[in-house]
Amino acid sequence: MENIETNENYHFSFKFKNSLPWLIPVFLIVFWQVACNLSWVNETLLPSPIDVVTNGIKLFKKGELQENMSISLYRATAGLLIGGGLGFILGFINGVSRRARLLFDSTIQMLRNIPHLALIPLIILWLGIGESAKISLVALGCLFPMYINTYHGITSVDPKLIEMGKSYELSKKDLFIKVIFPGALPTILMGVRYALGVMWTTLIVAETISASSGIGYMSTNAEQFMDMKTIVLCILIYALLGKLSDFIAKNLEDIFLEWRAIERRNTDASETSGDK
Amino acid sequence: MKNLKKSFIAILLLFWCGIAVYGWHLTREDAGSSSLKNVVLGYQAGDEFYISKIRGQFVKKMKAKGYNVKFKEFQNGAAMMQALASGNVDYARVGDTPPVSALASGTKLTYVAAGGTKAKGSGILIHKNSSIKTLADLKGKKVAYTKGTSSQYMLLRALKVAGLSNDDITWVNLDSDAASVAYSKGKVDAWANWDPSVAQVEITENSKLLVDGTTTKALNRSFIVSPTTYASKNKTLSKLIIKYTEQDMKWANKNHSKLIKKMSADLKLSKKVVRRSVTRRTFSMKAMSKSVVKEEQEIANVFYDNNILTKKIDVSKHVQYLK
Amino acid sequence: MPQKLLEISKVGKSYGNSVILSDANLVINEGEFIALVGMSGGGKSTLLRMLAGLEETSAGSIIQDGNKIHGLNKEARVMFQEDRLLPWMNVIDNVLLDKKGKQAVSEATELLEQVELEQYAKQFPSQLSGGQRQRVALARALMSHPRLLLLDEPLGALDALTRTKMQDLIRKVCQDKAITTFLVTHDINEAVRMADRIAIIKNGTIWRIVDNPYRGKESLIDKEKEVEISEEILAEILD
Repeated sequence: MENIETNENYHFSFKFKNSLPWLIPVFLIVFWQVACNLSWVNETLLPSPIDVVTNGIKLFKKGELQENMSISLYRATAGLLIGGGLGFILGFINGVSRRARLLFDSTIQMLRNIPHLALIPLIILWLGIGESAKISLVALGCLFPMYINTYHGITSVDPKLIEMGKSYELSKKDLFIKVIFPGALPTILMGVRYALGVMWTTLIVAETISASSGIGYMSTNAEQFMDMKTIVLCILIYALLGKLSDFIAKNLEDIFLEWRAIERRNTDASETSGDK
Repeated sequence: MKNLKKSFIAILLLFWCGIAVYGWHLTREDAGSSSLKNVVLGYQAGDEFYISKIRGQFVKKMKAKGYNVKFKEFQNGAAMMQALASGNVDYARVGDTPPVSALASGTKLTYVAAGGTKAKGSGILIHKNSSIKTLADLKGKKVAYTKGTSSQYMLLRALKVAGLSNDDITWVNLDSDAASVAYSKGKVDAWANWDPSVAQVEITENSKLLVDGTTTKALNRSFIVSPTTYASKNKTLSKLIIKYTEQDMKWANKNHSKLIKKMSADLKLSKKVVRRSVTRRTFSMKAMSKSVVKEEQEIANVFYDNNILTKKIDVSKHVQYLK
Repeated sequence: MPQKLLEISKVGKSYGNSVILSDANLVINEGEFIALVGMSGGGKSTLLRMLAGLEETSAGSIIQDGNKIHGLNKEARVMFQEDRLLPWMNVIDNVLLDKKGKQAVSEATELLEQVELEQYAKQFPSQLSGGQRQRVALARALMSHPRLLLLDEPLGALDALTRTKMQDLIRKVCQDKAITTFLVTHDINEAVRMADRIAIIKNGTIWRIVDNPYRGKESLIDKEKEVEISEEILAEILD
């Protein structure tokens, strides 16, 4: 009997720990609802969470919400794949080849310092206002974090491990697959995580330029008519999508970098045992 | 546990990609069928093209003639003129001011058609309890307007009518979203604006028009403009567009209640607001005439005289009279 | 008469103006265990790296089987001072490195048995102790059947007890496989405990080579003799 009890205790603490990060958001939403109900805030300026959710359900039934969301998701993903892929390739080439580094790096560093949103007028004039303009803008935003992290990851792989690989006669391909890439992976995945963040922020802006679909459009369109419920709904959707992509990125790290988690656990363990 | 996590993330990613592919499909559908010639019409919420779009007849009739019509919505005329300059819009429905600014900045566009005016729905908004009673009271006040739009012209004309100089008021250039907040918070004393926004503010903010376009002769007429090279090659198409739009305009004038219902649902505006803005204007769309060209020329002249435009423009050189 | 594997003749190494090593001569015979001792910074590791082909000689030549070593020495494998295991691979994958197939896996397992780590095959390096990690590194080096095993102070960072155990293990494995071994160390006792011959590096060259008859094929160690030789070498270095 005792055994079961401790087990339950364990479960309880486990769940409590898991729910801790959600405590503040939930509290804020409850507080917000109460504030609306008690008319502490003007409902035309800040609608209550329940209003926002019912509005969301209404838009979902009309099909508007899911259509705009999937279009946004398409633009975001396409931009991320193109920009992130390009950034990875450039970072990789510059990371392994000194000559390429001399040729490209300072140019890329110069371009990197231009805020990519400042290029909107150029992009409109060159690519118009169709899908390609929006996707290019997202791609541009994702390119630099991926480039910098890939480049930095590859150049900072322990040279001693590379020397080991070379002296153990690893082929160029094996040296990359077994030593350089896994060594750079933690930094590259950090780049992915950062690119995901930039992806959403850029997309919001991209969708305000003459879009006729997407979450960003929904929100600017609502803004024009002071439709606060939809504006708040769009903001919440962005928050959730941002959280979701961060969650995926974090889990990708856990899956691909299992060895690091084990390493960390072991150093922690040896440190605590050392204290005793 | 770990494999569970792996498959969970894999499913999540698959789901993500699936939705993204669906989104891609949706954007492809917009591109339309290939055998028809694509025509892109730029519009702003609540305007003539917008009515054609929600009525739905226009697209069908154009399809029968071999055209695939795509509507593209813009937040303001300036953005539409930019898209027109880069060839992303074939016909743009704009107010009377943006084309003049665009011509001055070198955009090669041609006036194809002229619509009705929004003279009664355009003007300078003030709160009903405002200390401003007459146009002359504007002296020393802060007035919001949006640069390059009809509101700028409206304000210039109003000052002229009142006999005030341009320096007698503080000009506050804001886009409509920012202006709406500034106005409701009392950061500006008056706001030069147009329908349906005017109707909305009149009703929700307890406001009225100090002066409207009938007095100031800032009529806020609708136009259809097209890139010059496109317009000269597609006269038949232009005539079709005028013809079918005019048919929709006649429908709109006769069927106010249907129109108001549709517009208020679509624009998420109350019926009261939509009714006010719809009933005080007459919809039409006709080929260009000498008299409307004169109106446009007047705008160009006033803007040039006030150093808003750096170039003198002869509007008559950019007009197509389709008969 | 033992077979000659490698001949170091008049080898020198300098970086710019500073001379690390000059006029070093040494013959390494097939199957012997030779140690190189001397003070830190005396050029021991530099010589080892030249044998591995990780660095080029500035003067003289290193001849192996009649060929001058130039570029990577493909018949040699180095065990570095740090284990240099890949932290993202488990133990057996580290031993295998780029080798594939059933044959290779069973060979790697066998090697892990010889270094007494077969039960750790699926663990990551971070889960092992320093001594265990060096044993994995030894198995990895042996995996490619080197003719020459180069040990660059591999036990330097280990505690005394683990160290003694490792010395015996390495010595035994190399003897069983009859691999020519070249050990660089600053620990004279370690050299005496492991090597057949001990080369002393001093004043930037190979000063003297001392025979260590009490090590080698006989498994019995004469403690007294061992101490005697150690003291002799120490005196030689400090002289």
